[in-house]
Amino acid sequence: MDATQQQALAAQLAKLRADYVARLPAELAALQALAGELQGAERDRACLEALHQRLHKLAGSGGTFGLAALSAAARALEQRAVAWLAGERDWMDATARRALAVELAGLGQWVGQTAGETVGTIAAPSSFIPAPNALRSAGKAIRVWVMEDDAALGEQLARQLESFNYRVQLFTRIDEAERAARSESPDMLIMDVMFEAEGRNATEALADFPALRALACPLLFITSADDFESRVRAARLGAVGYFLKPIDIPRLVNRMGQLVEQMSAPPQRVLVVDDDADLAAHLCLVLRAADMVAEVLREPETIMDELASFQPDLVLMDMHMPRYTGPELAGVIRQHDKWTGLPIVYLSAETDLERQIAAMRRGGDDFIIKPVSDAQLVAAVRGRVERARQLADQINKDSLTGLLKHASIKDVASKEISRARRTAKPVTLAMLDIDHFKSVNDTYGHAAGDLVISALATLLRQRLRQSDHLGRYGGEEFLVVLPECAGAAAQRLLDDIRQRFANLRFSYDGQNFSCTVSAGHATSCNAVLDDAVNEAVVVAGDADLLAAADAALYDAKRGGRNRVCAAVLESRQGEVPD
Amino acid sequence: MSTLQRVMYVEDEPDIQAVAKLALELVGGFTVKVYSSGEEALREAEAFAPELILLDVMMPGMDGPTTLQALRGLPSLATVPVAFMTAKVQPAEVAHYKTLGARDVIPKPFDPMTLASQVRAIWEA
Repeated sequence: MDATQQQALAAQLAKLRADYVARLPAELAALQALAGELQGAERDRACLEALHQRLHKLAGSGGTFGLAALSAAARALEQRAVAWLAGERDWMDATARRALAVELAGLGQWVGQTAGETVGTIAAPSSFIPAPNALRSAGKAIRVWVMEDDAALGEQLARQLESFNYRVQLFTRIDEAERAARSESPDMLIMDVMFEAEGRNATEALADFPALRALACPLLFITSADDFESRVRAARLGAVGYFLKPIDIPRLVNRMGQLVEQMSAPPQRVLVVDDDADLAAHLCLVLRAADMVAEVLREPETIMDELASFQPDLVLMDMHMPRYTGPELAGVIRQHDKWTGLPIVYLSAETDLERQIAAMRRGGDDFIIKPVSDAQLVAAVRGRVERARQLADQINKDSLTGLLKHASIKDVASKEISRARRTAKPVTLAMLDIDHFKSVNDTYGHAAGDLVISALATLLRQRLRQSDHLGRYGGEEFLVVLPECAGAAAQRLLDDIRQRFANLRFSYDGQNFSCTVSAGHATSCNAVLDDAVNEAVVVAGDADLLAAADAALYDAKRGGRNRVCAAVLESRQGEVPD
Repeated sequence: MSTLQRVMYVEDEPDIQAVAKLALELVGGFTVKVYSSGEEALREAEAFAPELILLDVMMPGMDGPTTLQALRGLPSLATVPVAFMTAKVQPAEVAHYKTLGARDVIPKPFDPMTLASQVRAIWEA
């Protein structure tokens, strides 16, 4: 395996582990629910057999994902279940049932300990299902701890990261970070592997620092040690990045950007279609408790409008409703190309296999049989939405930068322009283009060019608001959509980005260089002017605003590059875009 | 001696499927096919032509030992070495699984970083 593969492996293992840990609460809740069915009656044997199977699986899987203590605890319980099943009785007495419930509840602590999350309230499933959106609040600076014993290097790294809007705290000793980790936690941890002064290898030493180990944030290593053992140890610790010195800052920042994106994914949106109002309300509550946004469709006839305005990630559909069946509504949804990828999951008491299959043929994706536990429902929905989003990303996003591709960002721009028109608020489009990019490629090679592009992408992602949109429009050209942002604010923002980008130092093959960017922006002025004056602008379509931004970019280039120019829209209404 | 390339794994748990596939493909460099049930394996394994078969023991429907027996009934798979993977490994149980025709037993939980070398060692034994 070469270095890239090892890094990929470490990242994928960490991802699988995170997925596994995320699903555990649902599994533990299912165990609890099974234990709750033990009633001191004949059914107890069947219940305990089911419990035994699940405990066996848990014992076999936990350790593979780094949760050895959970495996051991599940194994102990499994053996108790086996011993009980070997007996003659078919029912369990109250004391034994209580003891079992307590021990099952105790399993949660092992998840908490290893993953750094306290899973305390086992009794209320919906409250402890972890939300993946730890960093949702917009505009919040990401807290990064850098553990680097070389103070000069650490400070240099901190300065560079701060220009990408990260709030950096530097530790030059492992024990200092350990003390800090007892009372607070960062969003991301970057750690040097070798601490020369202390004579310790951090990947080995981490075992002695429980508070640091318990941090649930992504862990990245920086190191000059490219040996297999260190890499494996890093992988075992769940590291999601392994960067060799001298550190390639843009590459590090690019990886950090991806991690932030994962952590700050917007809440999942679920549309519930069910004629049973009580049940629908209950489903919504359960989904909302798991940090999702859920709405109930009241009138089936309005489903297409509801889809357009609510923009769900998934539809949870009842099978049998008075006027229309679930499969009929699914069929209507699938008549629209735009919604062919929308996951539709039937939720129904339908156990007839033939009818289930027939329903799936009519555009459904999955079947959940009622009654369903809250935890199961959340797990089923979350998994489906995540996969659907990943798929959509692969289709819509550029592989180098993770930004929207040309067609997708143009779609977004049109939507925002129409929205601005409806709400009478301004929207600004900005085009950015890296100066003399061809000479970067020619001088340093395409790999260096890619780094420059992804650095600008990362910088943009860091500086923009969460409501802004960002796409890679062409090779080295970016399109930014800034809703509710007028020209002056856009000018300040873009100029700040321009300056920060110019200050970045790229290093490639021992050569240092820097780059600059030019930008042009145009603001729809229907909010500013009154209707009579503004008529021409209103009827002028999205393409005109884009063309105006492009023309402003051209002005910036002609004016000497490394600058930001605003368009004067009125004078350009007549222009036809290319 | 030729080297091991094609490994099939019958396992019903998606989490374990994913991590084992990753471990065997990326670390071991094997070509891996995962089946979610004994039934699925029976239908499709001959076409894959595995050189080594890994079987989870406790699965709903057909369990590992039943799957082993059924696979042995397929002419092209009658002599392919088989290893069980299970969370229960008392010495007596290992012996029992070997009498069923398994070459060895890999204990669960396994370590993703060393699984491939365990598998290779069983094949070379």
